[in-house]
Amino acid sequence: MSLRLDPRTKFFMMLVVSSVVLISATTPLLWAIRILMTLIPVTLLIVEKKYASAIRFVLLYASALVITFFFISEQSTGIVASVLLGYTGMIVQYLPSFITAWYVIRTTNTDEFMAAMQKMHVPDGITISLAVVMRFFPTIKEEYASIQAAMKMRGIMLGGGNVGKMVEYRMIPLLFSCVNIGDELSAAAVTRGLGGKVRRTSVVELKLTTADYILMELFAVSAVLFVYFKYFAR
Amino acid sequence: MNEIIKIDNVTFEYKGADEKLLNEVSLSIGEGETILLCGSSGSGKTTIIRLINGLIPHYYKGDLHGDVTVSGFDIRSTELYDLAGVVGTVFQNPRSQFFSIDTDGEIAFGPENIGLDPEEIKRRSDKVTEEMEIKDLLGKSLFELSGGEKQKIACASVSALLPKVILLDEPSSNLDIDSILKLKDQIALWKSQGKTIVISEHRLWYLTDLADRVIYMDEGKIGREWTGSEFASLSKNEINELKLRPLSIEQSLTDKDLTEKDLGNDVVSFEGFCFAYKEKAFLFRRPDFSCYDEDELSLNIPKVSIPAGKVVGIVGHNGMGKSTFLRCVCGLQKRCKGKIRIGDKVYSGKERLDLCYMVMQDVNYQLFTDSVENEVYLSMQERDEAKCHEILESLGLIEFKDKHPMALSGGQKQRVAVASAIASGAELLLFDEPTSGLDYSHMEKVGELLQSLASGGSTVMVVTHDPELIATSCDYVLCIDEGKVAYLRKVIST
Amino acid sequence: MNSKKLTAKDFITIGIFTAIIFALEIAISMTGYIHPYVVATYVVFLPLVGGIPMMLFYTKIEKFGMLTIMSVLIAIIMFVMGMGYLGAPLIIIAGIAADLIAKSGSYKSSKKTIISNGVISLWICANYFPVVVTADSYRQSLIDGGFSEEYAEGLFRVVNYKTIWILVVICFVFGVFGALLGKKVVKKHFEKAGIV
Repeated sequence: MSLRLDPRTKFFMMLVVSSVVLISATTPLLWAIRILMTLIPVTLLIVEKKYASAIRFVLLYASALVITFFFISEQSTGIVASVLLGYTGMIVQYLPSFITAWYVIRTTNTDEFMAAMQKMHVPDGITISLAVVMRFFPTIKEEYASIQAAMKMRGIMLGGGNVGKMVEYRMIPLLFSCVNIGDELSAAAVTRGLGGKVRRTSVVELKLTTADYILMELFAVSAVLFVYFKYFAR
Repeated sequence: MNEIIKIDNVTFEYKGADEKLLNEVSLSIGEGETILLCGSSGSGKTTIIRLINGLIPHYYKGDLHGDVTVSGFDIRSTELYDLAGVVGTVFQNPRSQFFSIDTDGEIAFGPENIGLDPEEIKRRSDKVTEEMEIKDLLGKSLFELSGGEKQKIACASVSALLPKVILLDEPSSNLDIDSILKLKDQIALWKSQGKTIVISEHRLWYLTDLADRVIYMDEGKIGREWTGSEFASLSKNEINELKLRPLSIEQSLTDKDLTEKDLGNDVVSFEGFCFAYKEKAFLFRRPDFSCYDEDELSLNIPKVSIPAGKVVGIVGHNGMGKSTFLRCVCGLQKRCKGKIRIGDKVYSGKERLDLCYMVMQDVNYQLFTDSVENEVYLSMQERDEAKCHEILESLGLIEFKDKHPMALSGGQKQRVAVASAIASGAELLLFDEPTSGLDYSHMEKVGELLQSLASGGSTVMVVTHDPELIATSCDYVLCIDEGKVAYLRKVIST
Repeated sequence: MNSKKLTAKDFITIGIFTAIIFALEIAISMTGYIHPYVVATYVVFLPLVGGIPMMLFYTKIEKFGMLTIMSVLIAIIMFVMGMGYLGAPLIIIAGIAADLIAKSGSYKSSKKTIISNGVISLWICANYFPVVVTADSYRQSLIDGGFSEEYAEGLFRVVNYKTIWILVVICFVFGVFGALLGKKVVKKHFEKAGIV
C-alpha cells in the first residue's frame, strides 16, 4: 500500500512540526504530543517502505530521549556530560523537523513538487531554484565522496597539517564539479523547454483526498492542543 | 527529400577563444537522414551539434556569422524553449542531464515544460515507456540507476517531446558494450520513426550500418564526406590515416586460460578480496566481509595473480565488479580486507594506499592545485624540481607546467594525473576507463603511456571497455564476471 | 538578447549555489553543539569559508534578484530545518540590501561586491534569533530539552541581546574577509582555469 499524499499536505506537516519545536515542551503531556507528532512521519516512512531510515530515526530519537531524561539532569556539569548533552539535546530538538523534511523530500517527486508550488502561487523562478536545491544535495554528497576518495589516495586528507589547504582541497574540486554539472544540467533543461512563456503543466493531477484531510486535521489538532496546554491550561 | 537542417556558411568563435572553431561551414541535411559526425577532438563536431539545437548562440556566447535553419526556424532568432518540440539532444554525461530526482518525472519533464495536457503527457510517457521497454525503470530514483540506464531515461525524456530532429553528442562515452548496443537499438528505433538524427561520435563501430552519410570534420571545416556504405567499406589503413577509431572490434585474446603455474614467480597476488556494496543488516557497527558470505558479495576473489611489470586489462560487464576490484585493491574500501603480495612483501589495510595509485575515470576529482607543476609536487614527499620536470617532459606536459590543470583538455588532464602517479612512486598503477571519451590519437597516446609505465617497472591494471585499447596496449586480460575471476588470458600481439 | 529578467539558467545557478552554501552550513553547524562558545564561532567560520563559493556565485550574477532569491531560499530552508521563521525577515532584508549594493556597482565593482557579501552573510545570524528574541522562554526550553544549566548559562553569556550586536558586526566583518579570501581563491583557480 502506498500512500499518495498531496505535497501540500506534506508542506503543512512540515510547517506544523517546525513551529511546534520552537515552543518548548515542559510537561509530560506536551512531550507526549511532541513525540506523537514525531512518530507520524516515521509511520509514514514505514508505509512508504523506507524501513531502514525509519528504524534508524526511531532508535536515534529514542536513545536521545532516554539519555536526556534519565541519565542527565539540569545539574550536570563537566565536559563529557556537556558534550553528550549537547548532542542529544540537538537531536531531540531538531530531529522531528528533520524526519518530516526527510520524509517529504524522499517521497515527493520533482514534478509533483513543482505542481504543488504552482498551485500555491509560488513564483516559477523560486520553484525551479528549490527543485534544483533538492536535486543537488545528493549530487553534492556523491561528488564529495569521490573527492574524498581521491584525497585519501593521494594522502592529502589533512592537507599536510595546514587548515587552509584542507579547505582548499575539498572546496575547489567540489566547486569545479558543481559548476560543470550545473552547466550541463541547465543546457539539458532549457533544450527541453524549461523557462518558456507557457504555463507549466503536470502529468500528476493534484487533488486532496481523505487521507490528506485526516492527516492535516491530525496535525492541526495536535498543534492546537500543544499550544493550549502550554499557555492556557494550568 | 526535404531539407530540414541548413547550416549556411557558418563561422563561429567561442567567446574568449583565440581562434575560430568553425570556418565557413555549410551543411545540408534532409529529413529522415542519419548523419554521423566524426573527427578528432576539437575539430568542431560538438559545435555543429550546438548550432543545430540552438545552444549556440543562446547559451554559449561567441561570434557567430552565417545562418542556421532547422525545420523552418531560424535558430538565431528563435528562443530555446520554442525549439524544444523540434530538436531534442542527448548529451554525453548521463549523470548531469537529469533535472528530476525520479524517473517518471524526468520522462514527463519536457512535455510538462511546454504546457501539454496531462492526458497527452500521460499518453506520450506510456508510449515511450513501451517502445523503449523501460517499464522496470519506472518509479525509481535516478540516483539508483547505472550509467546505461540513466542514458536510456535521457533518451526517453527527449523522445517524449516528439522532436523531428534528434541530436546525440558522444552518447556512448560513458557506456559499456551492452549499453552501447541498446543505444544502437534506440537510434535504429528513431530512424524507423522517420526522425532526422545527427550523431557526433568517436566510437564508430556501432553506427556503420545506421549512418546514411558520414561527415569528417577537420579543424573546423568539413574535411570529407561519404555515404554510409562508402564509409563502411573504407580499408583499415584509410581509417587509420584519418586518425579514426577502427570500424570493427576484433577478438584479440588467446584461448588459453592462464593459471598460477603458468605465470611463474614474478607476480602480484591478490588475496581475500571480497566485498559487497549492499550492507549487511546492521544497527550500530558495520561488520567486515569475509570470503565466506558467498551470496551477498559484489566482489568475490579469494585469490588471483597477475604478471608483474605488465599491462593487464580488466574487462567484464558493467556492474560486475571491475571498478569495485580496483577500489578495493587501492585501499579505498576499508571494509575489504584483501592483501596484496609482491615477492616477499605483503601489503594490507592502509599500506595499499601507498602501494597503489589510481587514475580515476573522471580525472577532475583528483586535480587539486592551481598548476600542473604543483600537481606533481603534491605527490612528492619532498619537492624535487629536477625529477618533476623530467616526468613532465616524458609526458609532453612541460610546456604546460604553469597552467591550471582545469584549463587543459581531457587528454592532457589525464596525463597530469599520470604524472602525479609517477611522482608518487607507486608500484601498482590502476586506471579506471582512461579512454572513454577520447579520440583515436589520444587513445593511442594513452596506450603508449601504459606500455612505457610497465617497461619502467610498474605493474599496470586498466579497467576498460575499449577493445582498441586492449588490442594496442595490454599484455594480458583479466575478466571479472559476477564479482568472480572468469579468466586470465594473454593478448595476441600484433 | 540582454533582458533584465531572470532566466531558467539563472534560477538553476541560484539553486546550485544555495545548495552548496547549505551543505556548508550543515557541515559547520554540526560542530556547534560541543560547547556553547563554539556556537558563536559560526559567524567566523561560515562567512569565511562560504566566501569562496559566494565569490564564484558573484561572478555569475549580472542581474538584480539573484541574491534576493537566494536569501528567500535560505529563509525557507532554515525554517524547514526547524530554526524558525523569526530569522526570515532578517535574511530576506539582508538579501535585498546585498542585491542593491552589488547592483550599485553594476555587479562588477570589487569593493561593492565585497561589502555586498558582508551584508548577505548576516543570514547566519538568523541561527541565533531564537536565542535572542525569545530569550527567556528559549532558555527554559533548552533546560527542559535537556541541555544542562551550565550549557544554557554558557550560551546566554555569549549570545544575548547585548552581544548579538557584536555578533552581527563580527559576522559582517568576516563576511568581508570571506569575500576577500574568496576573491583570491577565485582568481587563483577559476580565473586561471578560464572558467570565469
